Amino acid sequence: MTESGADSRLTRSGFLTWLLGTSLGATLLAAAYPVFRFVIPPEVAEAPVNRVLAAKLSELPVNTGKIFRFGAKPAILVRTPAGDVRAFSAQCTHLNCTVQYRPDFQHVWCACHNGHYDLQGKNIAGPPPRPLESYRVDIAGDEVFVSKGA
Amino acid sequence: MNVLASLWRLLDERFELAPVVEFITHKEVPQHRHSWAYYLGGLTLFFFGIQVATGILLLLYYRPTAEAAFESVQFIVTRVPFGWLIRSIHSWSANLMILSAFAHMFSVYLLGAYAKPREATWWTGVALLGLALGFGFSGYLLPWNELSFFATRIGTDIVSKVPVIGAWLLKFLRGGEEVTGATLTRFFGFHVAVLPMITGALIGLHLAFIQRQGMHVPENLGKEAQQRKPLRFLPNFVMREGVVWLAGLAILAAVAAFFPWELGSKADLFASAPAGIKPEWYFLFMFETLKLLPAHVLGIEGELVGLAGFSLAGLVWFLVPVLDRGSVRGQRARFFLFLGWAALAYIVSFTVLSFAGAFK
Amino acid sequence: MRPSFHLVLALVAAAVTAAAGPPPPAAVGVPGKRADDTCVACHRALDDPRLHAPAAAADTDVHFSQGISCAGCHGGDPRAQDAEKAMDPARGFVGRISATAIPELCGSCHANAAFMLRWAPNIPTDQLAQYRTSKHGQALAKGDTNVAVCTSCHRAHGVLPPTDARAPVYPTRIVDTCARCHADTTLMARYGIKGIEVAEYKRSVHFAALTKKNDLSAPTCKSCHGAHGATPPGISSVSNVCGTCHLAQRERFDLSPHKAAFATLSQPACESCHSNHAIVHPLDSWIGVGDGQVCGQCHSAGDAGAKAAIAVAHDLGTTTGAFTAAQTRVTRVSRAGMLMDDAQVKLEEAHQALVLAQVEIHTADVVRVQSQTKQIMAAATAAEKLAAAAEKELRYRRTGLFVSLVVIALAMIALIFKIRAMER
Repeated sequence: MTESGADSRLTRSGFLTWLLGTSLGATLLAAAYPVFRFVIPPEVAEAPVNRVLAAKLSELPVNTGKIFRFGAKPAILVRTPAGDVRAFSAQCTHLNCTVQYRPDFQHVWCACHNGHYDLQGKNIAGPPPRPLESYRVDIAGDEVFVSKGA
Repeated sequence: MNVLASLWRLLDERFELAPVVEFITHKEVPQHRHSWAYYLGGLTLFFFGIQVATGILLLLYYRPTAEAAFESVQFIVTRVPFGWLIRSIHSWSANLMILSAFAHMFSVYLLGAYAKPREATWWTGVALLGLALGFGFSGYLLPWNELSFFATRIGTDIVSKVPVIGAWLLKFLRGGEEVTGATLTRFFGFHVAVLPMITGALIGLHLAFIQRQGMHVPENLGKEAQQRKPLRFLPNFVMREGVVWLAGLAILAAVAAFFPWELGSKADLFASAPAGIKPEWYFLFMFETLKLLPAHVLGIEGELVGLAGFSLAGLVWFLVPVLDRGSVRGQRARFFLFLGWAALAYIVSFTVLSFAGAFK
Repeated sequence: MRPSFHLVLALVAAAVTAAAGPPPPAAVGVPGKRADDTCVACHRALDDPRLHAPAAAADTDVHFSQGISCAGCHGGDPRAQDAEKAMDPARGFVGRISATAIPELCGSCHANAAFMLRWAPNIPTDQLAQYRTSKHGQALAKGDTNVAVCTSCHRAHGVLPPTDARAPVYPTRIVDTCARCHADTTLMARYGIKGIEVAEYKRSVHFAALTKKNDLSAPTCKSCHGAHGATPPGISSVSNVCGTCHLAQRERFDLSPHKAAFATLSQPACESCHSNHAIVHPLDSWIGVGDGQVCGQCHSAGDAGAKAAIAVAHDLGTTTGAFTAAQTRVTRVSRAGMLMDDAQVKLEEAHQALVLAQVEIHTADVVRVQSQTKQIMAAATAAEKLAAAAEKELRYRRTGLFVSLVVIALAMIALIFKIRAMER
């Protein structure tokens, strides 16, 4: 059917075979490449909505707070004056503003309407109606992990 | 070529492949006016193959619990490379597979291929369609979004209407009284283990029967089939099948590109059903028919009458090789041909009308 | 029952004596030993509900649980079997206590710090002193017995501590307790009070916080009017009272020209725009001098205040619109299946800036409001940018799949030609 290999590209049949081979190959590649990329897990192996690495303990001085993210939601890590590490949702229970740690008050405060929360997350002054949601803190060496479901 | 020849010799020395090769190379496919219909079964198999492959890929990341299902699908489509593609293909190929299965079934029916000696092929085929619908229904819940939750709730509500065993059947399906995380886990088990196992076995039987018996030629086209040269299975029919499969792949790529599958919003068990909730298109004709029925027909609940009607119709459809006695002799009853066209017209028209909003 | 009992009762009913000082030692019995108390035992057996009910209430009464029985307020001898002896004025029995006598009676224990130290050291002992300064107390001193006394709110029998959810002064129940008189328009008309205040309060966000959000610290009548010293805050003290919780708004109000102006005009500060009882959720559309807009109460179109109000309203309107548009776009893209976490964070920032902008309104200073609305704009714009990038990615995917379609079509055509060539 086809001529010798050296000329096959020049014949119509040869061209067709080449076209068929190339386009089928391209189709196969177009199918195989995404599959290959898919099976290798992404950098972040799990969606960061239930457990996150919030901070390094060595980078969290006493009587400070740090805002970190649980997925799209803000959360706050607090290192109390006594040295404990606690984590809460940073969404104020009044109108969802993001709270902050005030070293001068030594507790958590919301700038929007002057809401105050103590170091247990309990609402102690101002408009917030409920305490901040509490999260579980696990410290592995220098790494501070926060997970939901305290 | 040398490599292939030595590989061949290797296998042939152990498994005696000559009879197999003999069979495949001499297998022939009759040609006539309606031999285009012969591709539809293979097309359905092609889409099923894509489902198995993409389904296994999704299994690498999916989590079948109410707390994590939606988030895991969100993870797949937002964070896993090409996850959006695999997922969109899986959802679309499911629809194309069922469409192809319906087309295959109706062409087989209207061409009378259920006739003796192919009754068992018909029966495994109808069962496979039922399994495909089961795949569609169970798979639809797995993303655990608003639409899937409510569609499942409404869909499973119907089974409670079955007399005597209705309540038990409902609890069996739902894993409880209501649609909950337990339902999700159960549907997941059906979708990835139970249904694939049964489907695999039935496909094996279905294909074995076809290989053993060859293709059916409708009685009125017998002369044409004899006059026209039949196609050799290998390579001619297979290459043509390749074209059909590539066309299927192209349609799949097109719909995945222009109508990407939505993620939606997470199911809320306590929210009220959104307006205009309806099942997937392949259940629409039943859904709209049930809605049209009055609350009570001769004292019996309307939905129960509808359910009985569909069950009866399904049974007739299943038993058509036995009921259409003339088909044994190669003389199909005109009545059953008419029934087939009527069923097709009913399903198509109700589905199209539902989309057009005629049933508001 | 014995006829003599009724006679004694009739005599006793006429007696009016204020009991001064702590109750006689005999009346303070051992907690729980109610079986010894003949007052309760006898009265429980009576049919007349007015005589039966106080005894039945003994079970839940906090005084009774501490061992202070009927005789603790009514006098008499709770150990006497005979009704005459039990209700003998010679043994201190005073029978029904008049309204004017009640505050002093309750105060005989509750205002006695040394006494209260022995029973409930953490209860304040200033209630009687406060009551005397209240509108209720002042009216009572003038002889008006229609006003509230201790038992009106705390009940006479079956008294419960205010922390008990069944008590009439528990935060969720206190409004209805005040309403027993203050919602009676006919009664209130005598004092020049409209009587619609409770109804108005029930429309407020404070009431909603109390009843729907289960926030027991939400303001009720006593939070602004005082409990025992119940008096409406004076016009000049309104912003102080509101400011105890709403400190941020109060501080900004103090910076505004309104503070001095309102003081001169004797206008109650917060109340002028937010009302005093029907405090509903404020809307940005309130700002302006048009119909139903609060600034128009004093300002007319064209004056400096009106100009400032219109500028603030316009600013808030445009930025809120941008924020809403960004939210809609991000939600749509998120539903389509794109990762919008960073955009959500920007939207949270925009939301926070909006809340702060609405606090700055109280300065009546456009510049200060703009310092926040600028941030709304910035965050909303950033969120829109991220959504636009995601939409671009979606279009890019569509293009990529279209390219693959072309490749597949090529393969199909090549295959068809190959078949043709083969079968020639």
